[in-house]
Amino acid sequence: MALEIVASCVNCWACEPLCPSQAIYEAKPHFLIDAKKCTECEGDFADTQCATICPIEGAILDAVGVALNPPGSLTGIPPARMAEAMAELQAH
Amino acid sequence: MELKVLDQAETEAPKSGCSAGSCGSTDDQLSHLPEDIRQKVHNHPCYSEDAHHYFARMHVAVAPACNIQCHYCNRKYDCANESRPGVVSELLTPDQAVKKTMAVAANIPQMTVLGIAGPGDPLANPERTFATFRELSEKAPDIKLCVSTNGLALPDAVDELAKHNIDHVTITINCVDPEVGAKIYPWIFWNNRRIKGEKGAKILIEQQQKGLEMLVERGILVKVNSVMIPGINDQHLQEVSRIVKQKGAFLHNVMPLIAEAEHGTFYGVMGQRGPKASELQALQDACAGDMNMMRHCRQCRADAVGLLGEDRGSEFTMDKIEAMEIDYDAAMEKRAKVHAAIEEELAAKAAKSSATTVVPVEMLDGRSKPRPVLMAVATTGGGVINQHFGHATEFLVYEGSAEGARFIGHRKVADLYCSGNDTCGDGESVLGGIIRALEGCEAVLCSKIGYEPWEMLEEAGIQPNGEHAMEPIEDAVMAVYREMLEMGKLDAPLADEEAQATA
Repeated sequence: MALEIVASCVNCWACEPLCPSQAIYEAKPHFLIDAKKCTECEGDFADTQCATICPIEGAILDAVGVALNPPGSLTGIPPARMAEAMAELQAH
Repeated sequence: MELKVLDQAETEAPKSGCSAGSCGSTDDQLSHLPEDIRQKVHNHPCYSEDAHHYFARMHVAVAPACNIQCHYCNRKYDCANESRPGVVSELLTPDQAVKKTMAVAANIPQMTVLGIAGPGDPLANPERTFATFRELSEKAPDIKLCVSTNGLALPDAVDELAKHNIDHVTITINCVDPEVGAKIYPWIFWNNRRIKGEKGAKILIEQQQKGLEMLVERGILVKVNSVMIPGINDQHLQEVSRIVKQKGAFLHNVMPLIAEAEHGTFYGVMGQRGPKASELQALQDACAGDMNMMRHCRQCRADAVGLLGEDRGSEFTMDKIEAMEIDYDAAMEKRAKVHAAIEEELAAKAAKSSATTVVPVEMLDGRSKPRPVLMAVATTGGGVINQHFGHATEFLVYEGSAEGARFIGHRKVADLYCSGNDTCGDGESVLGGIIRALEGCEAVLCSKIGYEPWEMLEEAGIQPNGEHAMEPIEDAVMAVYREMLEMGKLDAPLADEEAQATA
């Protein structure tokens, strides 16, 4: 059981000092979680710390690959509205 | 909101007196600060319209992490407001930041201030932020240090801040009411949890206020930044201003929201608009009865280098800095000389500037008080009108009134009217943009102006004026104001003001 950081990570360093297992490390092109060390914070915190401070929707996945912060959950922007706005910008 | 009428009456009164900065050197918001505070900030480029043409500042981007989310910020592209727009900031380690700061200090001796402003929250990155401050206060004691924060982690950081050479802290306070806060901050990270809505906003507000009080207790100057968000906190910011002043903040900087869909921020995507220049000014004026207001903030980036409004960051990228050999002792000597020369120049200028250029009472002739007038000024600095209209990237806005001239703010223009090549075909649309940027101004004072823009400005109700080239700005503004008065242009209030007054 381990969480995973994926390509949308912006390397903001917020998660790294919070990890109770020191499983998170700086890497290129983005931070990574050592699957052997990650405990999903079990026994340490009620919420997984990296996913709880991460500001980027979709950047951290759970053990089965589901985003812990799905689209719209952190910014409050409804995904449909976001898609609409991006389509409008592309059209210009 | 009905109650606000009383407040407005209260805040109107001091405008004609000294507390609103309308006497003496009205250009300078610092003129009515207590002497000890003025001593601390007189060479800080961010705190005085005058000083920022002489002294430079820089930011180092050592603090990437943040502990809250703001609706005007997109963490993917850094923050559009709060002095950190842009995607290109080169994140520095504390060692690199120290190296860069000393390289800039040696090469731009006018640089007096080093700030840490992000791109996240400096106090959410305490190790990196304080390592930078610690090393700099040892190695470069002639540089003032400052930091800006959202305030969440501030109470825990106050003692550490007090240990270093830090005499200014900026706290961004957008509200004192959790209900308003929930519309600005979707969540905070607190005690290992993500806390959303009013509950999160309430904790943030409490931490900000506590941090403000603790800093004031320790004699550290506190400036408060607020982002003005129409329909969200615009009315509320007057109360914020009153409260932070009461608690001892020395300056309040109300900045306009920047929100564009392409920034990908909540406000940008959801179509929240920023304030118009006239709305921003009205709010700053309403707050000014209670508080020193900052009028010339350029909302610069988290890695800006140089004088306000310019960015020399590209001269100091890490690869260039690594190649520089810096003898800081020699640099400090040179810097001290440069600073002394600037002080001398500023003092001479202050002594020379006419005491006040108030409209003489006899000219009023028993008429009712003439209305104030906004004028745009093209200047490259030095307190004089010395810029060609077509070369101005921004205009300073002054208000002329029977009480004298006072600095109101600045208006950026998107494109130069005259870029000096063959692109003049676009001149007309560019000029349209400039005219929109100068909304509310009735005159524009510059050293020179071409025939074509002259005509279009006149048509738009903005009188161009090139007769006061190289004159001190306040004197020129009052000379034009008196002319307008003599011509009988100031007797009747403007149509839209009348409408506002009766609204």
